Amino acid sequence: MKQKKTISPIERIKAASNGLRGTLSKSLDEDITGALYEDDQSLIKFHGLYQQDDRDRREERSEKKLEWLYSFMIRLRLPGGFLSPKQWIGLHHIAGEHSTGTIKITTRQTVQLHGIIKSQLKPTLQSFNTLHLDSIAACGDVNRNVTCSAHPDESPIHAQVFQYADKISIMALPKTRAYYEIWLDEEQLEDKKDPSAVAEEDPLYQDRYLPRKFKVGIAIPPNNDVDVLTNDVGLIAIIDNNELKGFNIAAGGGLSVTHGNPDTYARLATVLGFVDTEGKILKTVYEIMTIQRDFGNRSDRKLARLKYTIDKMGVEAFKAELEKRCDFVLEAAKPYTFTSRKDHYGWKQNHENKWYYTIFIENGRVLDTEKLALKTALLELAKTGKANFRFTGNQNLILADIADMDKPEIEALLQQFKIDKHTDDASALRKNAMACVAFNTCPLALAEAQRYLPSLIDKIEPLLEKYGLTEEEIILRMTGCPNGCGRSPAAEIGFVGTAYGHYNLHIGGDRTGERLNTKYKESLNEEQILQTLDELFAVYKTERTAGEKFGDFANKKWIGIK
Amino acid sequence: MIGETRLQQLHAFLNSYSKEELIWINDYLSGIVSSGARQSPVHIPKTVATKKISLVFGTETGNAKRLATELAAVARKKGINARLQGLDQYRLSDLSKEEYFFVVISTHGEGEAPVTAKKFYEYIHANELSLPQIKFSVLALGDSSYPLFCKTGEDVDARFSQFGATRVVPLQKCDVEYEEEAHQWFEQVIGIIEKEEKEKDKDKATVPVPAPAKKTGGKKYYTGTILTNINLNDRGSNKQTYHIEIGTEEAIEYEPGDAIGVIPQNRQKVIERIIALTGIDANLIVPAIKHTATVAELLTQHLNICYLLTSTIKKYAAITGQHIPDTRMDLADLLRIYPVKNATQFEEIIKILMPLAPRLYSVSSSAAAHGSSEVHITVARNRFLALDEQRFGLCSEFLGDVPKGTKLTFYVHKNKNFKLPAPDKDIIMIGPGTGVAPFRSFIAERDATGATGKNWFFFGEQHFSSDFLYQREMQDYLQTNVLTQIDLAFSRDQPEKIYVQDKMKKRAAELYNWISNGASVYISGTKDPMSKDVENTLLQIIKEQGGKTNEEARQFLAQLDNEGRYEKDVY
Ligand code: SRM
Ligand SMILES: Cc1cc2nc3c(=O)[nH]c(=O)nc-3n(C[C@H](O)[C@H](O)[C@H](O)COP(=O)(O)OP(=O)(O)OC[C@H]3O[C@@H](n4cnc5c(N)ncnc54)[C@H](O)[C@@H]3O)c2cc1C
Ligand SMILES: Cc1cc2nc3c(=O)[nH]c(=O)nc-3n(C[C@H](O)[C@H](O)[C@H](O)COP(=O)(O)O)c2cc1C
Ligand code: SF4
Repeated sequence: MKQKKTISPIERIKAASNGLRGTLSKSLDEDITGALYEDDQSLIKFHGLYQQDDRDRREERSEKKLEWLYSFMIRLRLPGGFLSPKQWIGLHHIAGEHSTGTIKITTRQTVQLHGIIKSQLKPTLQSFNTLHLDSIAACGDVNRNVTCSAHPDESPIHAQVFQYADKISIMALPKTRAYYEIWLDEEQLEDKKDPSAVAEEDPLYQDRYLPRKFKVGIAIPPNNDVDVLTNDVGLIAIIDNNELKGFNIAAGGGLSVTHGNPDTYARLATVLGFVDTEGKILKTVYEIMTIQRDFGNRSDRKLARLKYTIDKMGVEAFKAELEKRCDFVLEAAKPYTFTSRKDHYGWKQNHENKWYYTIFIENGRVLDTEKLALKTALLELAKTGKANFRFTGNQNLILADIADMDKPEIEALLQQFKIDKHTDDASALRKNAMACVAFNTCPLALAEAQRYLPSLIDKIEPLLEKYGLTEEEIILRMTGCPNGCGRSPAAEIGFVGTAYGHYNLHIGGDRTGERLNTKYKESLNEEQILQTLDELFAVYKTERTAGEKFGDFANKKWIGIK
Repeated sequence: MIGETRLQQLHAFLNSYSKEELIWINDYLSGIVSSGARQSPVHIPKTVATKKISLVFGTETGNAKRLATELAAVARKKGINARLQGLDQYRLSDLSKEEYFFVVISTHGEGEAPVTAKKFYEYIHANELSLPQIKFSVLALGDSSYPLFCKTGEDVDARFSQFGATRVVPLQKCDVEYEEEAHQWFEQVIGIIEKEEKEKDKDKATVPVPAPAKKTGGKKYYTGTILTNINLNDRGSNKQTYHIEIGTEEAIEYEPGDAIGVIPQNRQKVIERIIALTGIDANLIVPAIKHTATVAELLTQHLNICYLLTSTIKKYAAITGQHIPDTRMDLADLLRIYPVKNATQFEEIIKILMPLAPRLYSVSSSAAAHGSSEVHITVARNRFLALDEQRFGLCSEFLGDVPKGTKLTFYVHKNKNFKLPAPDKDIIMIGPGTGVAPFRSFIAERDATGATGKNWFFFGEQHFSSDFLYQREMQDYLQTNVLTQIDLAFSRDQPEKIYVQDKMKKRAAELYNWISNGASVYISGTKDPMSKDVENTLLQIIKEQGGKTNEEARQFLAQLDNEGRYEKDVY
């Protein structure tokens, strides 16, 4: 693996940032531009914010001698993706006041708001603070939002498992008070003149943080709705007659590749072993992070994720180092099986007879359209105060913990706003599809994704009908670039943007997220996409064995031989 | 050749004189040298001290002042000591003491007095004075392409004769080439004075009359091609401000601070409506105020049919024999509401229509930076309500809509009162909205010529994201330190309105500091209310920071003005 020796500029910025403060306060006051100073653009990510610009408008703005239309995206830290109805109401209003208004449910169970201008950043974060919500470390070279199987109906121990998301998130928070100082005007801890004085002790991150982002996910078999193996660390709950025994620990997942960089690859996490007690569980996750901190590649960010660190060290050596740091050995992994990766749409009931309604939200975009007043509906539902809000790793939303007696009221609202109809009527393909954000806000997008996929699906559905495959719950995912935010590498049919209007077609991933797909055709335009799928479906229809899933068939038929 | 100490003495001596006096001394000395007369003590021609002779000027863009100064020098050469004064400085109570009173005054706006003469103009119109002792004459500067040619001069002339004063030389109206006529007028003036003096004492030393100053070239028209025309405001803005680049074959003679004059064309739709309303033959050839041409051409290119003057509407009422209240409106509206009898009657109307006036646009480019065969302007689409409907200004709409490649004729309107100081002097530029135009020119010029003075710009508009005119350029100028600092006021990005003057208050101490250290202050943009609010704020800052009284602050600013360190380009 070739390596640049020089350490990456981001490393310098982090170390010099004086506890992630940098010159952010000055950047915010600079009124000649809507952007931040360059170094601060990297630092602000650690505060859960991204500087972006409206890419649709670049040319026109330049012609007008105006700078690009800069604004910011905020991503909340929401372990396990849970909001009280009160918090949803607050979020609804903050979105209306300070952002584009659209609420985006992400593939990691949290929400993003886009289009917040610089001067509105502080007010926005302060409003969130009053709702006891923050965006600390939702981005940056730190532990990201911890995901957890979303469906409480999954198992009686859901609540118990769910708590781990929060515990891990707290454990892995940076210790600096910068967030409180800069955004919430909290008293500065020490006198800024002496940087060392302000750099609060942070045994985990020190002043270097991690070489790269770090992701933890928790799954409750048999559903792998969080795509647990795509995380840097995956925890698989081991349950024995409704009792949580502990977790299998997997490490080294990551989906991103870089076009034309053969050293980069997508990888599923390797199951290392099993740990039982809470203490051991947290310790294991913690020490995996310290290994990545100490051994991770700090010169080439493209090769800095844990997956590369592990392969560089070798899985066994990595495990040994981990056990050394933990000062205990991991037990052999316990058996588990995943049978699905989907959301349970419609009404479900859990062991305590609480009700759950999962709403299909196409690509996680909550807004009102003339077809569907989704945003208004959710506000009305929240106002009843009778349902919690849970986000799924598939960008959908669960109205949760509804008491028997309250169900009729919720049902009535779902009907009134045709949410139930919208959810029922969506095809199996659409309900199991995801797309990342891409244009117009994502600076890395090469092609459209969430703005385009719906119309592409309109055109794929007829093909499935043609072959009587409409009931197949094929997992189709699209991303605007090979970073894989919509987890396209882990789909049965994956589209990866290469250039505007062009996508690589990947097939052969399995339904449960335990086998990645493989590139089958390069940069197809829409017409070629539809033609190719038509051919593939035709063969699948005639040659499939009973109940054989498209991903498995495709892998055997077109990939296996390659 | 002249020793250090004597040189210093000379400097000390010269410093005690005003600019005007120096010009005179200069001419005086050259006179002595050329006449070979070098006997000492120098024989100074006996000046006419007995008579009180005032030469006053009212100016806006500096022509009248320069001219009057020139004339005063001529007079002094002949031993006639005329007291030269700007009308803004003139003590009105002195009128009763005047004997000879000569006025050089220009016309601005729509036939209005120049700013520096407003006080005087209003005074002589608001008061019925009796000034039989005064012998007077008026020299009016103007531009015949404006409907009310030399209006102010006419008014002043009329008022003084109403006051019982004696007009010793008839009113002289001058067009843009005023030098020759002006000097001729002044020779008559001098002639009169001398004649009167001869009566008194015979032994009057006669000095040869200098030839009138060489004629300065008159209004030169350029034909340019629209190279670029973009709306600088982004989507969602309430404004439309066009950045227009005009290219020419020949080099354009202009300096930063000048403006260009454009004569708009009337809108075709409107002309068609007028022709339909009156039934006149568009190809009929009619003699109008300045041109004789077909009705279509006159209405398109030569005659003003927008917002007719009250006086024009009065004439219209007379011709059509209708009762029309004192008002102003577009010809098309007038014809609709108070129709003409027939086409022939409309021919008569055409004859009373005033010429289409040029509109001025401050140049926003610099020859040094953008090349001398192109000029840029920054035009805001002018919008207003008329008869309860949203309407647009004629010229600004016309310019906003001219596509690339269109030919456009324009002339350069020099503004001597809005010029950059020496390269090493600091400048403070206050120019919200289109006020940015001359400052884009200033900054570009100073960048291109490597001027070392510091540059401070105050800009304001409604919204940061859509209305920050030339944002990219200003950012670059800051980067390269051509702009020392910039203060921005976006009025509608927060609940409370914020304007440039508010930003000035915030920077009061530093502003006063710059000024005390010799910085010049420039204001550009709309006259009302911007330039007034800014001026008041400036006075307040001078007062508070300088620990001065209101009066002292006003004098301080007046002093800056005299030194050419406080200049405005407002409209
Ligand atoms: C919102 C979201 C996609 C969505 O539609 O839901 C998203 C959006 C972005 N991702 Fe992502 N990623 C999102 C989940 C993912 C996932 C999937 C997952 O984690 O389950 C992946 C693949 C898994 C992995 O990490 O390997 C993913 C891999 C990336 C990468 C590649 C990282 C790498 O290893 O190279 C980048 C680029 C980078 O970090 O340099 C990236 C960068 C981005 C940025 C922030 C672009 C940027 O760096 O400026 C995107 C913001 C677009 C926008 O305007 O909102 N995003 N990103 C997801 C937010 C998750 C969250 O709430 O934290
Ligand atoms: C020295 C100088 C520099 C200038 N620099 C600039 C510059 O850099 N940029 C710039 O944009 N402008 C500049 N101007 C202003 C410019 O010259 C014009 O005055 C402006 O563009 C409006 O002209 P217009 O023909 O568009 O509007 P006009 O048609 O002349 O109308 C102007 C105003 O007249 C009134 N009006 C017209 N018709 C009617 C009607 N029917 N009923 C009621 N009211 C009516 C309205 O109040 C209207 O706003 C400058 C002016 C001067 C003197
Ligand atoms: C905005 C503007 C309006 C003018 N309006 C008139 C006018 O109505 N009538 C006229 O005769 N001249 C008009 N002029 C021409 C000036 O009177 C002419 O340029 C004169 O030389 C200016 O003299 P000054 O520099 O002393 O002010 C106008 C000039 C400007 C800049
Ligand atoms: S996959 Fe690429 S295009 Fe899509 S959101 Fe992530 S970075 Fe942007």
